[in-house]
Amino acid sequence: MLADKQQAIFQRCSSMSLTLLLQGLAIGLVNGALYILTALGLTLIYGILHIVNFAHGEVFMLGAMLVYVVYVLWEWPLLAALPAIALTAAVVGWLVERGIFRRLRGQWLQLLVATVGVSLIIQSLSWLVFGAQEKNVPSILPGVLVAWGIRMPYERLAAAGIAMCMVAALYAVVYKTRSGLAMRAIEEDEETARMLGIDTDKVAGLAVALGFALAAMGGVFVAPIYSINPGMGLEAILMSFIIIIIGGLGNITGTLVAGLFIGVVQSMGALLLGAESAHVLVFVVMIAVLIFRPQGLMGKL
Amino acid sequence: MALVLMPAVATTYWMHIAIVVLLNITYTVALFSVLRMGYLSLGHAGFIALGAYTCVVLTVRLDISPWWGILGAGVMSGTVAWGLGAMTMRLRGIYFSLAIFAFGEIVVAFFRAFDWFGGPSGIANVPRPVFFGHALNDHFSFYWLVLCMSLFFMALLYRLQYTRYGATLLTLKTEASERLAQSVGIDAARLKTATFALSCAVVGTMGAVHAQYLMFINPQVFTFLTSTDLLIYAMVGGVSHFWGPVLGAGLLTLLGEQLFSAGYWKTLVYALVLMVVILSLPGGLVSLLDRVRDKWFSNLRN
Amino acid sequence: MKFVSIASGLMAACLALATQAHAQESFKIGNLSPLSGPAAAFGIGINRGIELAAEDVGTFQVAGKSYKLEVVPYDTSLDPGKTVAALNRAVLNDNVKYGFILGAAVHGAVLPIIRQNGFFDIFMGAAGKEVTNAENPTVFRFMASSDQLYYTFTPEIYKKLNIKRVAFMGPNNDLGRSDVKVLKEIATRLKGQGVEFVGEELVELNAKDFQASLLRLLAKNPDVIDTNASPTGTVGLIAKQARELGYKGYFISSTAVLEAKALVNVAGKGADNIVAYRIWSAAPTKLYDQIAERHQAKYKEATLGTVWEAYAATRWVVEAVQKAGTFDTKKVAEQLANSTFQFHPYGPASWGGDKTYGARRQIQTPLPASIIKDGVWTPLDVRMGTLE
Repeated sequence: MLADKQQAIFQRCSSMSLTLLLQGLAIGLVNGALYILTALGLTLIYGILHIVNFAHGEVFMLGAMLVYVVYVLWEWPLLAALPAIALTAAVVGWLVERGIFRRLRGQWLQLLVATVGVSLIIQSLSWLVFGAQEKNVPSILPGVLVAWGIRMPYERLAAAGIAMCMVAALYAVVYKTRSGLAMRAIEEDEETARMLGIDTDKVAGLAVALGFALAAMGGVFVAPIYSINPGMGLEAILMSFIIIIIGGLGNITGTLVAGLFIGVVQSMGALLLGAESAHVLVFVVMIAVLIFRPQGLMGKL
Repeated sequence: MALVLMPAVATTYWMHIAIVVLLNITYTVALFSVLRMGYLSLGHAGFIALGAYTCVVLTVRLDISPWWGILGAGVMSGTVAWGLGAMTMRLRGIYFSLAIFAFGEIVVAFFRAFDWFGGPSGIANVPRPVFFGHALNDHFSFYWLVLCMSLFFMALLYRLQYTRYGATLLTLKTEASERLAQSVGIDAARLKTATFALSCAVVGTMGAVHAQYLMFINPQVFTFLTSTDLLIYAMVGGVSHFWGPVLGAGLLTLLGEQLFSAGYWKTLVYALVLMVVILSLPGGLVSLLDRVRDKWFSNLRN
Repeated sequence: MKFVSIASGLMAACLALATQAHAQESFKIGNLSPLSGPAAAFGIGINRGIELAAEDVGTFQVAGKSYKLEVVPYDTSLDPGKTVAALNRAVLNDNVKYGFILGAAVHGAVLPIIRQNGFFDIFMGAAGKEVTNAENPTVFRFMASSDQLYYTFTPEIYKKLNIKRVAFMGPNNDLGRSDVKVLKEIATRLKGQGVEFVGEELVELNAKDFQASLLRLLAKNPDVIDTNASPTGTVGLIAKQARELGYKGYFISSTAVLEAKALVNVAGKGADNIVAYRIWSAAPTKLYDQIAERHQAKYKEATLGTVWEAYAATRWVVEAVQKAGTFDTKKVAEQLANSTFQFHPYGPASWGGDKTYGARRQIQTPLPASIIKDGVWTPLDVRMGTLE
């Protein structure tokens, strides 16, 4: 039985043309970039404040919903819609930090459950306000790029590109600006940072605002690729969890590497072994990382 | 006492509610025994599912008596939890939680993947136990089973808290105090793993009972959302006391059943209740009762 | 004096209202379907179908007493655990004996309860023999089943569109798996026509990215990708992603809610050449149009897919109850199975399935086939056979 299955897989692999395999790889890399886009906000908030923001997936969904409302229903121009959504998410994040995270500083269990509460509130409100019908944002960049026999829709390429820009931008902010320096300081040692005159409250607020904005932007750029419904948050956070477990909590490089890695594993796995096996494969990788390197591929324990 | 008298006066529907409430209370109390140690399990539902599936497979696929099914469920969950615990309890805080979360997802995906376990559609016609010739096929008789098992486990976990074993567990709450405990010769690792295993054995056993109640199991019955539900019950009730989780689970399950047809409204109300309690009463509802009790006593004294 | 007269006036009014309320009993019809979540359109459509039918039925007589219809909704989110809880509540607490239960996947859990209580199940869901069989006399499938579509419709469609290489992409659940099985059987039967089953991909039910699986399938060069068991949104995404990968063939789907606009929104030009059963591009009866107009006027949006079937089911069941003269579900089931109905929006309706399922519990109505051309549904001239 097993030998037959192995034969079948081998036959399948060898019968697949190089183009097919390359297409699979391309799909994997682009999907990986989309995963990075999805997970980045979660990484930032954990990285700076050591808070696992369970509401992350719902903010992602909110970004997608808002782009539907603002860009499609209200017909705002894209250049106005994007900053508006980012700003809204940032404000929500800042309010959440101020009203909830700050109150629960130090009580990690309560804090975690509070983020679960926030996610449930956002989710149920979205179902009630936006309704259950799936919504669609028309392609901003329709068309497919065909190069060397490989096809890739422009929309996805653009989103992948934006993902990379965001990673770069985040690096720049965290490592090259004063606010970023302040963030890294409070991550390292909050007491000392405060003693050195850093307004830790303000910096925490900024970090969460930025994290929420990143999550929402992720939703915005993924929206035209798939359809939108209020339930998409759960899937987003599950994927984000998997990425940060594998990449390392709070580690930007880890998110980058893990995102691309999982994207490719899923895509090539589905191509060569079938969708079910690919699904299992991702979990296997996750277990392996948790057992052999629990801090993630790039993390420090 | 009310619990014992209920079947005499209540309708079948209330029996259904009572059964669900008791199941949730037991799950939450078991989760609490892990929370007390300073560990957050985000995948307890995975162990409930493990127990449920073990029982179903034993009774439906292997034709073993449902009583052994229940026992087998507990043994399976407990053993797997012991192994998992041994591997993961050295991870602190969020890493442990994510590992257990991963486990929960994997368990469900595993049962989903194979037809022998029913695959995505699950297994139906799960048999119920037969008590001295009388099959527990209606809500009333099944209630007795659920009641006895819940009370047994609750009593067990309650008493354990007040033994030396239980008190020792409190010392493991933070890393620093754990190290201190170890320095006086307490085998922290063994203790933690044992507690985790016990907690999972309890939820696994009740999971089996739950599956027998539904007479059905499939991968969607116990998910990550179930784990978060249990967490919410514990937090709303309060994690400073044993009675906190009991209160939280009982209250919220009843509330949930009442708001049943409301779908999203139910989730919204749950979440708002949760936020209000967490922000204003970090000790949970049970701390409110404490305050009331203290005030009452101080009034008596005066 | 004035006070007394006002008070007595109020009392009289209250008394009148009270007796009025008692004069009319309600015939409760449960709706156990997703009312929230991605599949909510199905459940909400059923609610509305019942409401519209209630308007037309008004107050009716059963064995001398008058009744009016009352909908009792239960949100199941298509989850078996919740459906079990809902059915328990309906039967044990709310005294509901008749109801719509949506979802083939949830039926495994509820069939024992249905049998135990003789609950009259207006079943809306595909599946086949697992639900519709001689052991479930009070379960009636009020919509076309996948096997029915496969056995009687699909071969005609293949012939018409000159389809030879057949592939399947669907969810990895009961429905998907049984559809693949039947599809393979059909392909074998049609070997003489040159039809060949070339590949299948079973994916996660809620998956959104099918590119890798599609790639695998497209390597086998299919003429049609059968997406029968997938919900609307998924069909749209599959079509979009397949076109992006260069696929130029057909898709077939039998999902209940398949607005061309919804598909075009997702897939743009790629939605062309999607073939569907059960989508009427031109109204089959005046009643169909009337219901669509009333729905638009009352709910301010286009008619949801399940509305027509729910309307018909409600009216037909009420008619059967009246003819049987009792609410006893077994007797009503007998009456219903042997009747025909003239008020189904699709046309004259009857029951079949004696041979295929061992029980006459499968609705038979005229059904269309349509294909999307230039973003709108156009009729495909294919006749559907009757199920034995």
